[in-house]
Amino acid sequence: MSANEHDRRLEEAAAFALGALDAERIDEFREHLEGCGRCQEELRWLVPAVRALPEAVDQQTPPPALKARLMKEVRADLAAAGAAAGSARRGGRASSRRRFREWLDDLDLGGLTWKPLAGLAAVILIVAAGVGYLVGNGGGSDVHTTEVRQQGGIVAKVVTEGGQGELRLTGVRQLPKGKVLEAWVQRGEAVEPVKALFAPDGEGNATTTIDDMNGVSVVMVTREPEGGTKVPTTKPLVEVPLEG
Amino acid sequence: MTPVRRERAERLADEELMPWIAKKDPEAFEVFYDRHGGAGYSLAYRILGDRSAAEDCIQEAFISIWRSGARFDRTRGSVRSWTLSIVRNRAIDALRSKAGKAPKLTFDDDAILEARPAEEHTEAEVLAAETADEVRGALSQLPGEQSRVIELAYFGGFSQSEIARMLNLPLGTVKGRMRLGLEKIRGELAEGIA
Repeated sequence: MSANEHDRRLEEAAAFALGALDAERIDEFREHLEGCGRCQEELRWLVPAVRALPEAVDQQTPPPALKARLMKEVRADLAAAGAAAGSARRGGRASSRRRFREWLDDLDLGGLTWKPLAGLAAVILIVAAGVGYLVGNGGGSDVHTTEVRQQGGIVAKVVTEGGQGELRLTGVRQLPKGKVLEAWVQRGEAVEPVKALFAPDGEGNATTTIDDMNGVSVVMVTREPEGGTKVPTTKPLVEVPLEG
Repeated sequence: MTPVRRERAERLADEELMPWIAKKDPEAFEVFYDRHGGAGYSLAYRILGDRSAAEDCIQEAFISIWRSGARFDRTRGSVRSWTLSIVRNRAIDALRSKAGKAPKLTFDDDAILEARPAEEHTEAEVLAAETADEVRGALSQLPGEQSRVIELAYFGGFSQSEIARMLNLPLGTVKGRMRLGLEKIRGELAEGIA
């Protein structure tokens, strides 16, 4: 690489650190960065300046209601996980009961109690189907949750409520340009695409909704070209078998 | 593993809190929010300019951290900078939801930058703790054209090409201003901790 070419890359380091490098230049710059100590040093020098920028904004006080809403959602998540774990326990997985109970024991959930609930924390596979539970004062509905840890660190959770479903993935790697995630449901022998295509956010989380969960035995996800396809063209990244 | 109690959680350093959040401990998460929710909200408000949108952004960002099991890697920097980068990405996404995706600060990139022992983060941690006034000072001392491109990039989520078009400047000029501006801020910060 010529000196001029290298200087051009070096000049891009600031834009890269600021998240302002043009999308089509990012992969090339990353590739260069991996093998270039000088650019790495430049970035290491600049990154603290970028990280300091949010500290410089005028400080605002968030409304207390924001924290209340956030914690309510956190507790609702715990309730769903607990309900799912309770179902798993009934399925005869008593061996992991003690560990989960230890963790949940004495949790104050604003009126809900975890005492009757137990859990399952398998390293490779966590499968749990949930039973109905009440959330707050908003009335009750059956919520079923199935969570499976996939190879490659992806954790897939299918939450079914009232015949509809939500697929939540965490730990998903960023997609190459021009690719999206497409979910599929298996009903009997048929595999059908889920309408809503999706992609991971900056933290590797990806969520899509499944309009009709009736009769679905497996939920899968593949990486497909933008716009999606009618049949899967790649091996599934995610496969979530559902109970019942 | 018994849950961490609130008073104990408050005594834990950020990095010690994160494993508890990964184990879905609500007390640890509440302490985490109490520490960083204000800074996150301030950043979201600065980017979005609307309290309701900032609240939505913080709710989404913090729930994402909760649901992803707080996938924080201590070798990649501080909890605070990680959290604020998540908030910034969410806010920029919200800001630009109608205008297409903006480039992101990602922790994959940080993995390249931060592949070194955690103790070497010391300078960055000190910077983070002492920076508010210094960064404001450094930004205020920058020539307007340099601070403008930095603010458009970081708080507006615009790419260098978009900024060049917006300001009717050659791309090279925008790149140069970004670099000079960041170098000056960094230099000021370095002096501050010397």
